[in-house]
Amino acid sequence: MIDTTQAFFEHLAERGYEPLLHSISGTIQWKIQDAGNWFVVVKNGKLTTSRNMAQADCVCECSKEDFDRMVMGKQNPTTLYFQGKMKITGDLEFVQVFQRLFPDESLSGVEQGKKESR
Amino acid sequence: MTMSDRTISILEGNNFVVSDLRGDIDASPTEPLGLFAWDTRFLSRWLLTVDGQRPNVLSTDDLDYFYVQFFLVPGTGTIYVDADLSIIRKRAVGNGFHEDLTILNHKDQPVDLKVRIEAAADFADLFEVKDALKKKGEFYHRVENDRLVLGYRREKFTRETLIAASARADIDEHGLSFAVHMEPHGEWTTCLEVVTGLGGFGEYHEETTYRHGDQRARSNVKMSLKKAGEAIPRLSSDWPSLQVTYHRSIIDLAALRFYAMTLPEHALPAAGLPWFMTLFGRDSMIASYQALPFGSNLAITTLRALAQRQGTRIDDFRDEEPGKILHEARFGEMTAFEERPHSPYYGAADVTPFFLILLDEVERWTGNAELARQLELEARAALRWIDEYGDRNGDGYVEYSRRNKETGLENQCWKDSWNSILFADGTLSRLPRATCEIQGYVYDAKMRSARLAREFWNDPALADRLEKEAAELKRRFNQDFWLKDREFFALAIDGDGRKVDSLTSNIGHLLWSGIVDEDKVEAVVRHLMGPRLYSGWGVRTMAEGEGGYNPIGYHVGTVWPHDNSFIAMGLRRYGYREEAARVAMNMLEAATYFKGRLPEAFAGYPRELTEFPVEYPTACSPQAWASGAPLLLLRAILGLEPIGDHLIVDPAIPSTLGRLELLDIPGRWGHIDAFGRGRVDTSVVGGKLQPGTL
Repeated sequence: MIDTTQAFFEHLAERGYEPLLHSISGTIQWKIQDAGNWFVVVKNGKLTTSRNMAQADCVCECSKEDFDRMVMGKQNPTTLYFQGKMKITGDLEFVQVFQRLFPDESLSGVEQGKKESR
Repeated sequence: MTMSDRTISILEGNNFVVSDLRGDIDASPTEPLGLFAWDTRFLSRWLLTVDGQRPNVLSTDDLDYFYVQFFLVPGTGTIYVDADLSIIRKRAVGNGFHEDLTILNHKDQPVDLKVRIEAAADFADLFEVKDALKKKGEFYHRVENDRLVLGYRREKFTRETLIAASARADIDEHGLSFAVHMEPHGEWTTCLEVVTGLGGFGEYHEETTYRHGDQRARSNVKMSLKKAGEAIPRLSSDWPSLQVTYHRSIIDLAALRFYAMTLPEHALPAAGLPWFMTLFGRDSMIASYQALPFGSNLAITTLRALAQRQGTRIDDFRDEEPGKILHEARFGEMTAFEERPHSPYYGAADVTPFFLILLDEVERWTGNAELARQLELEARAALRWIDEYGDRNGDGYVEYSRRNKETGLENQCWKDSWNSILFADGTLSRLPRATCEIQGYVYDAKMRSARLAREFWNDPALADRLEKEAAELKRRFNQDFWLKDREFFALAIDGDGRKVDSLTSNIGHLLWSGIVDEDKVEAVVRHLMGPRLYSGWGVRTMAEGEGGYNPIGYHVGTVWPHDNSFIAMGLRRYGYREEAARVAMNMLEAATYFKGRLPEAFAGYPRELTEFPVEYPTACSPQAWASGAPLLLLRAILGLEPIGDHLIVDPAIPSTLGRLELLDIPGRWGHIDAFGRGRVDTSVVGGKLQPGTL
């Protein structure tokens, strides 16, 4: 079975460039309980990932269950933060833009860009 | 700060205190008093007693938007007894509030008093305040380290109010008691610190912004009016009321500045004080647009903040769609737990085209090509939204129908009350609705985006396509929305394809957008300035005589200053200079009845009936787009229009104003002065003598 967390970050690395993140540059650290650390370096939309880095501009901490729910489109990142279940330290502007990557369409089966069914 | 008959409000950003004129907070469902921050009430009770009696108020002084002083005497049942004690409360809001409580003994003898502050917090979400909904979490309180902690917890969501005093106090879970001894002509004082704590939210403060004795704006140096690089143009005229209104507008827009969590260094205008101190797509952009000739920083920050939160996914609950610009952002418990959709909520169909309009307008004023390039992808996403999601049925018009049927908005245009889009016989139109002014905005947005594509995005093919689409939209709109027999544009086309045939102010926005064919302009102007729409103070939202008309109906008969400021600009756009001057003058006259602070709306009664404008009771004052209205009206009568690197000044000034000067207008030209002499006799414009001259 595919691990959702791992698959999310692997997809980011495969993508290499994400236009939704064109406006930000920096490093985000995801500290996911029971899944360890993931780092994503963004340079005007260009993406690289790593499991091990010294520093990050912002750190997001949450449970693996909540993270996977965000990936699958079952949890909104903003309300997870508002509920106190995701801790963010550092550059909030970066996180605000980064959260556009949720959900991961290929994992959630939710096809974005489709019109409302009528 | 703002004062009504019974309450007084002070604020810093989204942190505000609404108390009675004594400084007390005793919240009830009908009296929404309290200390609020991030859409949560952190104090619902804050009562001062001296020997068990609540004091009487002598005076309440509003010294600044964040600071207030209360002068009180002990309660004796009547205020006509000479008091031998004075009580002074000085309060400054910021991360909670700091209150200095001082008691003066005027007697020749020593005195012992029992002073008590009762405190309680219901941690109500703003959305709950009026509905008195039951809380789903648990309350707690504890006394620790010489402070009282009032708390609320729901899963990992926690909110705490921390209360401490500098003087010795007996602290229990309902408040603080002081045993006060004063010598003859002595004085006793204590500081009271109330800190608002938001657990896990990056907003947990240990201290208030203001300390003992602070009366000067501190952290909000950034809120001071004359920020470096943004000096306000100087205005003078022969009609002194204009300066009053101008300064009121500038000060109110400063007090309405709001700092988004993600852009803490830059201000944008919130919608209204105090309940709407948050980012609204529509209100924030409209106020920024109105203020552009006077400074561009608000508009630039608004565009950036909205671009950051642009929709990227389909989310029925939030009415979110890729490329859509948000309607409203909130931070309280009901938003956090998805009982309300404001995280953020995207239920507005006009704001996405307006985003493109504002982006172009900012470049025209400032020459800020960098911003136009930085937001290119967001602008393209907004254009895609218009065609793919805004136009839901592929008929070429943007129509709206909420995805969120429970808590979403039924009307996603500026007239957003549920019963605003009515047929002439008063019946309600069906969803989805394509209101006319949104089609105008789309036309304008495409024309302006074509310019941006050609000049900044290096995409002439896109520019050609957008201009072609805009021309086609204009051609079809002038056929499909025009009511031949009544000679005006339908308010909307509804879900059954019917023309919603009420005469409304929306047709004025069409002039502003430029979507109106020349052969129809004269009729539109005749309606706008005619007695059914024109009240004498301004254009009504709905014309007298329509089935749904109600002079005190929120969007069906009242007069809205921001609406009229756009109409005045529309009249100017099509060369109706004198009509624009009349709309501007009448609205500026109305402002004199409100000490220069125009309300959000006033009643649509004919001017000759009431002789003064009757304020529509709304919860918020000032409102950003009402404060911005006089600024846009000034632009309309001075005829300010950026063309290339120049600012065109083409005045058509009401004669009442005499000589009008606006000096140091900032923009890509540096600074330019505009002046002109009042030559338009607005009492005879529009074919009908104005009341007062009859």
